Amino acid sequence: MMPLAIRVRVAGERGSRVRLWVPVLPVVLVLSPILIVVALVLVGACIAFRANPLRALCATWRLFAALRGLRVELHQGPTHVLVNIS
Amino acid sequence: MNEQRRQILEMLSEGTINADEAERLIAALDRNDVVDSAAQPVAKGKIKYLRVVVDDRSDGEQTKVNVRVPIQLLRAGVRLASLVPQRSLDRANAELQRSGVGIDLTRLKPEQIEELIDHLDDMTIDVEDHDSTVHVFCE
Repeated sequence: MMPLAIRVRVAGERGSRVRLWVPVLPVVLVLSPILIVVALVLVGACIAFRANPLRALCATWRLFAALRGLRVELHQGPTHVLVNIS
Repeated sequence: MNEQRRQILEMLSEGTINADEAERLIAALDRNDVVDSAAQPVAKGKIKYLRVVVDDRSDGEQTKVNVRVPIQLLRAGVRLASLVPQRSLDRANAELQRSGVGIDLTRLKPEQIEELIDHLDDMTIDVEDHDSTVHVFCE
């Protein structure tokens, strides 16, 4: 199952805060024309390097889908960065 | 009744062994059954995440890193890596050899790496320094 949302939280030194909550599906839909071009480039590269394009596309999709659950948290002094893919 | 017990009973009925010997043989079979059932591997709980926790105070300021990587991401990465063409692996091998790293990437099979991932739940790495600690484990 593909990721549903990406949550980014950054707290800086001077009390600055950035909070982002990105719903993945709408973003993928908006960017779909670019993604189609990227997929075509990927297929072209696979053909050039004699790799199976279908397997490459499947593996790329699996990699994207497997991102769900990834969490990176960094805390250094007043700086706090959190990226959570759910 | 399993085949070995049947053979013992047949030997008893044919008079090849007496009742005491048959009893001892059946008792030995029972002991073997207990040992075999104890040796059966217990199904392990499926691990879902690889965790890396770093706590560092070496600069006088506390730094904490907490990373949770889904195991599925490792598997997907292995599958993607298996698509790397042979000539690229050969070139990577040549560079590794030149750097003194004796690893042959062409001999690393995706199935072996997946097997390695399957056994990650037994792995715990703890590194402790006087200023910092690193803890790698699966959950």
